[in-house]
Amino acid sequence: MRKVLSRSITIQPISLIIEYIGILKFVVSDFKGALGLTLLIIPTVMALFPGLIAPYDPWIPTGKPFEPPSFSHPLGTNDVGQDIFSELVYGARISLLVGVASALLTVLIGLTLGVLAGYRGGVLDELIMTVTDVMLLLPALPLMALLAVFLGPGYQNIVIIIALFSWPPVARMIRAQTLSVKENLYVEAARAIGASSLRIILKYIIPQLTPMLIAHTVLRVSGAMIAEASLSFLGLGDPRAKSWGSMIYWAQRSGAITGGAFWWILAPGIMITITVLGLGLIGYKLEEWANPRLRR
Amino acid sequence: MSLIRFLVRKITSRVLVFYLLLTLTFIIPRLMPGGAFAYLIENPNVTPEMREALIKAYGLDQPLYVQYYIFLRKLLLDGDLGVSYTYKRPVLDVILEALPWTLALVTTSIILSFSIGVPLGVWLAFNRASRTGVSVSGLLFIIRSIPGFWLGLLMLIIFGYYMGVAPLYGAYTYGVTYSNLYEWLADVISHMWLPILTLVLLILPFPTIYTRNAVVDVIEEDFVKTAKAKGLPETMVMLKHALRPASLPIVTLFALELGTSVGGALLIEIVFSLPGMGKLFYDSIYTSDYPLLLGIVIFVSAVTLALITTVEILYAIIDPRVRIR
Repeated sequence: MRKVLSRSITIQPISLIIEYIGILKFVVSDFKGALGLTLLIIPTVMALFPGLIAPYDPWIPTGKPFEPPSFSHPLGTNDVGQDIFSELVYGARISLLVGVASALLTVLIGLTLGVLAGYRGGVLDELIMTVTDVMLLLPALPLMALLAVFLGPGYQNIVIIIALFSWPPVARMIRAQTLSVKENLYVEAARAIGASSLRIILKYIIPQLTPMLIAHTVLRVSGAMIAEASLSFLGLGDPRAKSWGSMIYWAQRSGAITGGAFWWILAPGIMITITVLGLGLIGYKLEEWANPRLRR
Repeated sequence: MSLIRFLVRKITSRVLVFYLLLTLTFIIPRLMPGGAFAYLIENPNVTPEMREALIKAYGLDQPLYVQYYIFLRKLLLDGDLGVSYTYKRPVLDVILEALPWTLALVTTSIILSFSIGVPLGVWLAFNRASRTGVSVSGLLFIIRSIPGFWLGLLMLIIFGYYMGVAPLYGAYTYGVTYSNLYEWLADVISHMWLPILTLVLLILPFPTIYTRNAVVDVIEEDFVKTAKAKGLPETMVMLKHALRPASLPIVTLFALELGTSVGGALLIEIVFSLPGMGKLFYDSIYTSDYPLLLGIVIFVSAVTLALITTVEILYAIIDPRVRIR
């Protein structure tokens, strides 16, 4: 099991050997996706049916503060006696929701700017690409935190902030793809019969980009989840909601390390890692599907 | 393109980026619901007299363009970032005290992870089908999925709490007087090795995977095969023939990684309670010390830009190819 697991994670490089063991590669590469999906089952079920899994309401104190893991509280209790396992289960929804929403917004911004830059070219292209390069140079985390401080708490704001600082790589990728799709003869034909730019973009260019968009949305979800956790760890999450990141924040603030309450810190981090890893595995698999040249 | 022209162009564009950043830090506080600088009124650390003085100093009762002018003049001509609410001292002084810790942490970690990552990447490219190679790649992929600050907490729990081989907080022992520089250095190293190790682990996947892919791209090229066929030793082939063409993008990655890992370093500093910019940043958010917060963002970005630009310029001096766009 372990052998297969570690083997599956490499991105297969160009190699003659691979040609001879093509069938093995097929199995292995499928396992990568399968492993990714398996890892995602736990957080997804938690997010969809928290009431079925969580033994308690995470908002109500159901034990004494700082109880160690026990039969009635599988992961112990936090500083106010709330059940940590239930917090973990309910936290899945917020963490995933923020991740997915940020990723969708990120890809939307990246798609719009990337297609505009790639399709129109000229001054607009230069302008968009300059902004993209500048955004890539600036340290994102301090600026995201600054915006979060001034926009105030709330997960809608976190979603917007994450998207504002994550779109540049997407825009770059989309621009490059648009440039190559634009050269196709059918695009020229569409232009020749008088199709408008908007029609060409929506009907002939974006459909070609869809596989890539799906892959990048999945990959962006994992990036956004880490960004959300980092912002929450700085105390910039929504104080009314429980996410995995904010659980770690409260654990750290309540002295969980010096008090020896490791499960409180470990559990949410493990959930984030599992989810991000699962999304990463699926994302790269999807990227290979979108771009067969990567299957080397 | 001549070196001088390259330098002028690079530096002008980076100064423009910095100017854009300053403008952003001017706009963002004014986006707050409730109008310009509403936060001044809500801060419990700000007395009414202080508020009056602040409104006067920043021209907050005047139109936006006047405020913008005052903001830029104070910052660029006087180097004035305001006074911290909590420390009651100029923000610049507070930041300059913390900066060396952050700079030391970031540069040490990046240099270490690149000096490990690049050779490791070359090795991975040549051993990509071996069991160890595959395991190493898998491990790097997993590290990339871990939130950085949480890895820090994990290291603290394992090495600090369970094994007791690292202190739980700080960059030096509090209240100790050192008889000489070496004693001080030994104390600092005994505190800093764990945060540095954490940051090195976190950065490591980027140079390693990047180098691996770059080397894999040239591994099948004829000149590499020729070098091998000539009977050159494996390490010679790896370093002289396979790595050389990849060196330019690796330097670019190094420069960009400086920017991204600063954010990670701030979080690591918070986890390990180091006296650097990260701790200031955290405290300024927690105590709503806005002049300090803005000062940190401006300073961190400026230092990052300066570091990136320095690396690029140094490389352009060594390698003329860089100067062409």
